[in-house]
Amino acid sequence: MIASLSPSSLSLGIDIGGTFTDLVILDPADGRASIWKESTTPDDPSRGAIAGLEQLLPRSGIQAGSIGRVVHATTLFTNALIERKGAATGLLTTAGFADVLEIARERKYELYDVFLEMPKPLVPRPWRREAKERLAPDGSIEVPLDVEAALAEVADLVAQGVTSLAICFLHAYANPVHERMAAEVIAKRFPQLSISLSCDIAPEIREYPRAVTTVANAYVRPIAETYLDTLEAALKRAGIPGGLFLMLSNGGLTHVAEAKRAPVQLLESGPAAGALAGAWFGRHAGLERVLAFDMGGTTAKLALVDDGEPLVAWGFEAARTKRFLRGSGLPVQIATVELIEIGAGGGSIARPSDLGTLHVGPESAGAQPGPVCYGRGGTEPTVTDSDLALGYLNPDFFLGGTMRIDPGPAVAALEGLSTRLGLEAGRGAPGIHDVVNENMAGAARVAIAERGRVPRDYALLATGGAAPVHAWNVGTKLGVSRVVCPPGAGAGSTIGMLMAPARIDRVASRNEALATARWNEIAAIFEALEAEALAIVDGTGADLSRRSVRRLADMRYVGQGSEITVALPEELEAKGVLAAFELAYRQLFGRTPPGANVQFVALRLSISAPMPGAGETLRIGSGQAGAEALKGRRRVHFPDTGAIETPVYDRYALIPGVQLEGPAVFEENESTFVVGPGARISVLPDGSILAERVA
Amino acid sequence: MSAVEDVRRFDAVEIELLWRRLISLVDEAAAALVRTSFSTLVRESYDFSCVVTDADGQSLVQATESIPSFIGTLPETVKHFIRHFPEESLQPGDVLITNDLWLGTGHLPDITVAKPIFRNGRLVAFSASTAHAPDIGGKIRSPEPREVFEEGLQIPPMKLLRAGQQDDTLVSIIRKNVRTPDQTMGDLWAQVVALDLMEERLLILMEQAGLDHLRDLAAEIHTRCETAMRAAIAALPDGTYTSSLQTDGLMDKPITLRLALSIQGDTITADFTGTDPQVDRAINCALCYTYAMTMYGVKVCTSPNLPNNEGAWRPIRIEAPAGCIVNPVFPASGGSRMLIGHYIPMLVFGCLGQVVPERVMAACGSPMWGMNQSGVNAAGKPYANMFFFNGGMGANMQGDGISCLSWPSNVSSTPVEITEHIAPLRVHHKRLRPNSGGPGRHRGGLGQEVLIESRSETPIAVSFLAERTLFPAFGIEGGEAGAPGLLHINGQAVDPKRQYVLLRGDTVLMGTPGGGGHGPASERGASALQADRRARYVA
Repeated sequence: MIASLSPSSLSLGIDIGGTFTDLVILDPADGRASIWKESTTPDDPSRGAIAGLEQLLPRSGIQAGSIGRVVHATTLFTNALIERKGAATGLLTTAGFADVLEIARERKYELYDVFLEMPKPLVPRPWRREAKERLAPDGSIEVPLDVEAALAEVADLVAQGVTSLAICFLHAYANPVHERMAAEVIAKRFPQLSISLSCDIAPEIREYPRAVTTVANAYVRPIAETYLDTLEAALKRAGIPGGLFLMLSNGGLTHVAEAKRAPVQLLESGPAAGALAGAWFGRHAGLERVLAFDMGGTTAKLALVDDGEPLVAWGFEAARTKRFLRGSGLPVQIATVELIEIGAGGGSIARPSDLGTLHVGPESAGAQPGPVCYGRGGTEPTVTDSDLALGYLNPDFFLGGTMRIDPGPAVAALEGLSTRLGLEAGRGAPGIHDVVNENMAGAARVAIAERGRVPRDYALLATGGAAPVHAWNVGTKLGVSRVVCPPGAGAGSTIGMLMAPARIDRVASRNEALATARWNEIAAIFEALEAEALAIVDGTGADLSRRSVRRLADMRYVGQGSEITVALPEELEAKGVLAAFELAYRQLFGRTPPGANVQFVALRLSISAPMPGAGETLRIGSGQAGAEALKGRRRVHFPDTGAIETPVYDRYALIPGVQLEGPAVFEENESTFVVGPGARISVLPDGSILAERVA
Repeated sequence: MSAVEDVRRFDAVEIELLWRRLISLVDEAAAALVRTSFSTLVRESYDFSCVVTDADGQSLVQATESIPSFIGTLPETVKHFIRHFPEESLQPGDVLITNDLWLGTGHLPDITVAKPIFRNGRLVAFSASTAHAPDIGGKIRSPEPREVFEEGLQIPPMKLLRAGQQDDTLVSIIRKNVRTPDQTMGDLWAQVVALDLMEERLLILMEQAGLDHLRDLAAEIHTRCETAMRAAIAALPDGTYTSSLQTDGLMDKPITLRLALSIQGDTITADFTGTDPQVDRAINCALCYTYAMTMYGVKVCTSPNLPNNEGAWRPIRIEAPAGCIVNPVFPASGGSRMLIGHYIPMLVFGCLGQVVPERVMAACGSPMWGMNQSGVNAAGKPYANMFFFNGGMGANMQGDGISCLSWPSNVSSTPVEITEHIAPLRVHHKRLRPNSGGPGRHRGGLGQEVLIESRSETPIAVSFLAERTLFPAFGIEGGEAGAPGLLHINGQAVDPKRQYVLLRGDTVLMGTPGGGGHGPASERGASALQADRRARYVA
């Protein structure tokens, strides 16, 4: 309580996306949050952030001097990768392997497309150079590094304008000696050159993804350094005394120095914040397993949250050539909140497929021309048009009444589509709703199954403009019994950052059979990883006394090519570790193969500690006690009942503790929460609405 | 039970919803198979497929990540199972198995398993999967075997599991006959996991959708695909278009493949009459594989966006005289049948390119290349590894061919770091082959050059998949051919169709062929030429 009286106790969140910059100020003492949205300024993103801050501060009556820390997420680095606008980057490889980056996986991501385009390597061939050196698979030196020759190659690159260099030698995950030796002499000769080493950035076996990850880091690093310096200075000038922290792809925070060292860790920073918001609201609603469901104009994103933490994958694909096609992007080996992205949003267009079935998305009408009901020239019916026709959206209260949408042309376009598909009249709108929901439910089913879990154990948590409209019916398809809609759904991800802990993940390759494992060496590796991670977390000012440390291992049956990541028991010995592996394996795949031996492939350490100032409570807007919550009634379509008379509530007038029954519609500025018949509805202390299916 | 059941109809929304769910369940099974498999072939190279068929073996959906050959063969293998095991001989928990060369995929390492699925006591579906086993015994994979008997263990259609109980006799026979009993059996169990998963998900789907059987749904799906394919064919001008090409064959004796492709209304007949007879080497391409490769070529040119199922194949008929190399008869060997089979889509392009030149590409540096390596490790245990390397793609009307990409198959290469971990080999380089892409207005994709040294204390045996060392990938529309492939051992060119023993320090140099060019080289733009030189794609 005393802490909340300290002069700079507030937290500021800044989430810079492609279109908008979201800002939130949170007072952790009473949970009061103030929100502002500003247009992003791509030439210098810090400008938009400061402009937004100058709007937000006076509106919320807050002094810049009372902001004790700033948390930041950005899509800047991902965009640099997608748009190929990174630094002039060179690559130094083991002799004979400069083309690893271009030869890639040799596999098509689409079988039947003669005109396929593969992702272009981030470093063109003339800037990929080779060093005379060679390690054996066990890390022993077979050919010593020729330092002078390597220097000559780099000198040539620098002369050609290369400002950032990635070094990726074969088997460097097993022994970093040559990469470090090369880096040392190169740094001495070319102190201005930014250098990224594969043994630091992604010390894992498989040369192609390791090289891609190291190169991606090198590619964005000079931008990250300049950008973070600019932002830090701008915040200081704005009078904010608090330090700057960055949201990592793994859902944790780190300090500026670490972000500058390995900015590749920030690629999925924005989406990770969204998943964290899901985790936070889920925890506050008392839910153990949450499927965070975010749906905007073009895409829907799903993230699984178990026991209050988003699930983390140990690699993802960046900058896909074809956005939703696996294999069309660059494999980046960093810890990332696991997100499934689907081409399903409010703007998704409904069309007959080549086979005369109803397809929805992934093409989107976007904001221009937008759905037919926007009246901006869109002619093809979209998900939003269907939502309007079904009574989910209020034409007079779209975006809080700031934008008028017209049901007439939408319905006409929907009927046109029905006719083309040979559907009964009126079937188009519910059909689109059903198909887009199935697309999302299908992706969720696969994601949950890949984790060896079942959908009914999860609660659905809806954020983003369109998710609250669809969540109840998606939940029905998945068989989930609880759907939660937090307040201020539109700014959810920014709020998520303010609740984030500091978190660092580290990995070390370890190829060893379980039966003959040298446990003292493994323990020593974990200690070293922990010391390294702890030093970074310590630098963030996190509360180390409440840290949690997890020791995990990538393990598999000898001969398998895929590993599963297993949380190791406290005591490191063969029997207990085997039991943990087998349990995890059975959960995923049902059965274990008879008589097979188990091995380690990598050791992972994950450390996280809460940040001071991370909120425990939240209040957005204020429930006006006594205000009339019931705004009226309208006919709303539900799959089992057809269109029925449904009460419409003003979300802002609801106070915690209120109990209602479905069907019901809750309207707020950014979204509309739709709940089907028979649901039990309650307003939770943080303002979230919980809708439960009554069996 | 009523004698006549109502035929259930599905509208454009219902069919979309059910179809989506079916696709996601086979994709889920494919993901599980990749994650639980033991061989590099499944996990690094995606050499497998999963399918769900109705009770008659008609495929409803097939995993998105399947390779083209299995998309064509797997549903046919299920139909062969049904012929061998009528409904009354099947019960829940059975798993059927075969690797028969003619009933399966044309070579023995591909093992197919299928599980009958029952609902309310009635056979309603099969889940099935084909995967390339790490080893199947016999002479190591090379074109040398003269008869199928030399190629390893043949498993006729049998039950691997009877009502959930494994056939111990069969399992011990398999284990005794292969070099890698743990990996081969491990992959088989991974396939069974995938079958179980498809069964479980399908039964939930049928329950929720109120489907007692899949017949009507299958009919709806097949009719829609068939209609779309017929419309695509009908849009092409009628006529008979012919094409032929030569392959390295037995090196001293090239092999000629001929195709006459007739478009009549909304049907296609692909006639291989005139193709050379089968040979006493393992490059014979069984009809099941010929079928799959023909369908793939036709689909690429006519309707690339149709989902994978056999409704689309109905308007297409194949004729190949028994005894020719694309329809060999027992006891032909076929271990390396892709050395013929991968040319077939190119042959289809040769015909259809006369009608739709904008939809085809120049010849690719395929068939895929590979090196099989086996030996006995320090502990006295036999082992075998297969590594793949791809050539360049042909150029097309829109752009240059992509370098080093698997086509028509879709197997990726094994990372060098993994190769060096699992095999006593040192890879000295793996790089693009400058000048290997066929010149043209659009240049063919580059092949790659790989130099490998044996570090084994004991001798190791190697054999190869290597083609286009004599006949390079041709260009089209005036484009030029790519560079032919090359195979050297200790610096000397060797016959790629034979097996060799390597001692420590011996080296293998492989150069995969480049793709053919598209359009006259004189029309290549100045900036493209300059970029080629700067990157030394062209020296």
